[in-house]
Amino acid sequence: MKKRRPDFPVLWLMVFLILVSGFYACGSREKAGEQKASSARYKVAVIPKGTTHEFWKAVQAGALKAGQELGVEIFWKGPQKEDDRSQQIQVVEDFISRRVNGIVLAPLDDRALMRPVDESMAEGIPVVIIDSNLQGDNYISFVATDNYQGGVLAARRLAEVMSGKGKIFLIRYLEGSASTTYREQGFLETVTREFPGLEILVKDQYAGTTTESAYQLVENLLSRYPQVEGIFAPNESSTFGALRALQDSGLAGKVKLVGFDSSEKLIQALRQHQLHGLVLQDPMKMGYLGVKVLVDYLEGKPVEKRVDTGVVVATPENMDQPEIKRLLEPEVKKYVR
Amino acid sequence: MEQKVILSARGISKSFGLTPVLKNVDLELKSGEVRALLGENGAGKSTLIKIFSGALKPDSGVMSVEGQAYCPESPLEGRKKGLAVIYQELNLAPHLSVEENIMLGQEKQRLGFVERKKNREKIKQVLSFLHHPEISPDIPVWQLPIGARQVVEIARALVSKAKILIMDEPTSSLSQEDSRRLFEIIRSLKAEGVGIIYVSHFLEEVMEVADTFTVLRDGEVTGAGEIAGTSVEQLISLMIGKRMEELYPEPDFQPGEVILKVENLQGQKMGSPVTLTLRRGEILGVAGLVGSGRTEFLRAVFGLDRIKGGLLIISGKEFRPRHPRESIKQGLGFLSEDRQVEGLALKMNISDNLTLSRLDFYSRYGFLDHQKQKESARQLISQLGIKARNPEQPVWTLSGGNQQKVALARLLHQQAEVFLLDEPTRGIDVLSKAHLYELIVELSRKQKAVIFVSSYFPELLGVCQRIAVFYRGKLVDVREREQWTEEALMKAAITGNTDNSISKAKVDRME
Amino acid sequence: MKKEEHLRKLGGILGPFLGLLLVLAIFSLMPEISGRFLRLANFKNVAIQSVIVALSALGMTLIIISGGIDLSAASNLALSCVLVAYFIQAGFSPWLAALLSVLNGGLIGFLNGFLITRLKVVPFIVTLGMMGMARGIAKWVAHNQKIDAPITWLNSLMARSPRPSWLLLSPGIWLMIIMAVVVGVLLRKTVFGRHVFAVGSNEMTARLCGVRTDRVKLAVYTISGLLCGLAGLMEFSRLTVGDPTVAIGLELDIIAAVVIGGGSLSGGEGKISGTLIGVFIMAFLRNGCTMMGWPNYFQEIIIGAIIITAVALDRLRHGQE
Repeated sequence: MKKRRPDFPVLWLMVFLILVSGFYACGSREKAGEQKASSARYKVAVIPKGTTHEFWKAVQAGALKAGQELGVEIFWKGPQKEDDRSQQIQVVEDFISRRVNGIVLAPLDDRALMRPVDESMAEGIPVVIIDSNLQGDNYISFVATDNYQGGVLAARRLAEVMSGKGKIFLIRYLEGSASTTYREQGFLETVTREFPGLEILVKDQYAGTTTESAYQLVENLLSRYPQVEGIFAPNESSTFGALRALQDSGLAGKVKLVGFDSSEKLIQALRQHQLHGLVLQDPMKMGYLGVKVLVDYLEGKPVEKRVDTGVVVATPENMDQPEIKRLLEPEVKKYVR
Repeated sequence: MEQKVILSARGISKSFGLTPVLKNVDLELKSGEVRALLGENGAGKSTLIKIFSGALKPDSGVMSVEGQAYCPESPLEGRKKGLAVIYQELNLAPHLSVEENIMLGQEKQRLGFVERKKNREKIKQVLSFLHHPEISPDIPVWQLPIGARQVVEIARALVSKAKILIMDEPTSSLSQEDSRRLFEIIRSLKAEGVGIIYVSHFLEEVMEVADTFTVLRDGEVTGAGEIAGTSVEQLISLMIGKRMEELYPEPDFQPGEVILKVENLQGQKMGSPVTLTLRRGEILGVAGLVGSGRTEFLRAVFGLDRIKGGLLIISGKEFRPRHPRESIKQGLGFLSEDRQVEGLALKMNISDNLTLSRLDFYSRYGFLDHQKQKESARQLISQLGIKARNPEQPVWTLSGGNQQKVALARLLHQQAEVFLLDEPTRGIDVLSKAHLYELIVELSRKQKAVIFVSSYFPELLGVCQRIAVFYRGKLVDVREREQWTEEALMKAAITGNTDNSISKAKVDRME
Repeated sequence: MKKEEHLRKLGGILGPFLGLLLVLAIFSLMPEISGRFLRLANFKNVAIQSVIVALSALGMTLIIISGGIDLSAASNLALSCVLVAYFIQAGFSPWLAALLSVLNGGLIGFLNGFLITRLKVVPFIVTLGMMGMARGIAKWVAHNQKIDAPITWLNSLMARSPRPSWLLLSPGIWLMIIMAVVVGVLLRKTVFGRHVFAVGSNEMTARLCGVRTDRVKLAVYTISGLLCGLAGLMEFSRLTVGDPTVAIGLELDIIAAVVIGGGSLSGGEGKISGTLIGVFIMAFLRNGCTMMGWPNYFQEIIIGAIIITAVALDRLRHGQE
């Protein structure tokens, strides 16, 4: 029988691979302009819902900005698979094991993340919730956009461009999505309360998660109600879907459209007056304040239980003002590679 | 037409390891000539074909094609020199169309684009030359009947402008009608000046289609000449020659009661129904060429193929096999002709392979008694003289002969009474063969019954008490061993003709 | 001779085991987390995170040894997770809800086996279809969103610290250990286990030897389905909600665990111990990378490399024998 020697080169290859890529990862992190671990006062984990969307890139930029200013080391780590509740729980657990000084979490689920957050608090690791709410109140602070207010602003903007009268659609996003439900609610209540001239033709149709499903919904609604004059869509994908449907039926610019969140295509449409208003959150501020509130807490300063990061409406008229431009195109690149 | 020599081979020798396969073989082929290449299994025919085609290199000897020295490095070079081989198992891509198959690797093209029109014309021309204009170039090959597929393969050879065609058992899977059409094609090819080397077991066909012959036996040319003026009997004796007999143990038959009775048994894949009886203590040989229906018969008896009609009676009771599990319970044991693919679980160890068909024996409430299992395995290993380190060794590490012993030992272990052995000596060395013969004869001494299928007739004559012959799906004859000679067996197996000077025994012919 | 045989047998498990030690060694040498990584608390943490994949991977090991594959494992798990929540919300007792959802997992597995043996369609296709169907049914039952069920004792099965503290480990971890032992014994010590190996090693031979290959496959897929149902129950316990989109793509992690542990996709080979080690290698890597704060793409690259290395290593070992 021959000896089984040749196994070992393969094992060494494995060692080599892991080490090399480990150092690569460390190196690139330092290049990103982060503080050295040794000099940081605190280690803070920031856990988003996902890592590939623009929105989360901006949150990351804000968190890193706060890290630089406050001398905090930031671990930015999302669930390995986008939107996977189970994996987000694992990430929280792993950071508890790591014993970071605090966690900033954007929970994928208002229920499922409760237990890991409870565990973290029980182990003396404070948690700040950002973006979406968590059931109960066992956390330090909730830092998020006031989505209801966003819906209110959207209703006012739509009423403004339609001069307070006309027929409109409310496109909903997804059943059970908390943040968009608040936006829809804010919009709906404001319209009924403040603008009796606006007639809501549709208010119970869901656009679904993709641009394609939103596009199809709006297209169908347009052929059913050709008399429509205004549309509100509560997030980026449904806004873009509605915009595409309007463009393809030649109604872009004629039917007034107010949307939520920004993207390159939406900014372009805003400039061309095909889109008449875009409610903007401030994700960078959200990331920044999330870390800031946590550090305040760690330093024994008093913190608010609820922190609003504010919403504004971008319009074709104000879109070049610096404070709006900053929100439309956040300076993500300055902080995130 | 002037006949010139297009292929000549002188003094070709080839050994695999220490075993010489070809010894100083000469062969010559003229244009427009059909030369039959004859010989038993293992006589060296396929090695010679491989050397011609370029798949193997000879150890010594020279070849020339049309007077030019010919020493191909690869089959591709052989093809380029005008030599094409049509193998027994056809080399076609079943999902490609007829046209794509014919043109594969030789598409007429310009600037990288296939010139479909030119291709199409050429194919139509070739197919009508081959008397098969009805084959559409567009249909995928798997939809064609087997005879037509062969035509496609020949067409491919013609398109490549082959001057020498080597056909390896071309009719073995063809119907009589298709064979006849093939002979017409061969005649047309002859008229075009193509030289053909025709390899076949079916001597009657050879007499019909060939002009000349070369016979190989144990790697040597034992005869060559014109077909005209030569008899089938002469060819057979050239093929067989004389042989040693001491390989075979002295049999000592004391047949007991009838254990297996087969009446008009018709399996799903069998050509025609079969009737046979088998007694305890008897070894029944089944002779026949590949594809003669002998394997299908065994598989039907064992319940591997479905049974359409007829009766199977084991120890006086009717038995209808549905799953091998039931057959094993009835005392049947089956040894597959293909131990690599079917007979053994190569990744598993010896002990598991030996006991797999009777694991229940070692179980209590479903749990296995590993010690007991290993103990039995050890016993069988020493009883059969299997060369292995221990029962835990995976079967694929054993030699062919030892693997076969494991497969046979499994039948002993499952306490089979009737052993159905399909080609038990295929692909194993002479010593192991001798050992296996000894084991088989030993079985008969213990009053077990054995059916021994083989296409190597001397071993049947050496070991069996009675021998049955299958030919093209039919059982043509069963006789006592003393009433057979090797010539008679060969003739029956390759012609189906049993009219012989020796007195006729009972013939189970059902039509 | 004897000794070498033992070595050879050991070698099969040694490769993956060395891999696991290697992963542990690398992370415990990282200065940032060296004090945290090799802690009992972290090991318990990783063990809990492994329970779900491990339970499904036990079943997958059976299937892969028998020469099949189950792409529907993760969808089956998600369906079971949704069903527990659905039944509890509908007012069933937690016991009954758990039982029904696990049985449903078994039913899905049985259907896989039935279609594979009766329709003679290859497992890859049947389970690919079932993957979509089970996921679709899960979304249907949950009306395309998650189901919030009231908190019951089921949700404490996967707690980091077990409720009665004398349990030492959380009930989920105990369940994983018990099931691993049960499946391991089933595979190594029973006639059924031998038949599973025989079917995977050479189905024709098994049939020739009187093994009812169809029944063996049916049983293998059903057992695997039950284990996926159990994994789904654990997933529910962890999430506290019935989430139809949970574990998307997890089937590949499950298969990878079996393969890293020495399972051969051509059947006839595989070990429960190896599979568990495969599960732990991936879990520790994920845990370590997160603790280091390394980005996700990095750990995906490593796991990919490990799968290839493990299989290549296995080939090498075979080539020598």
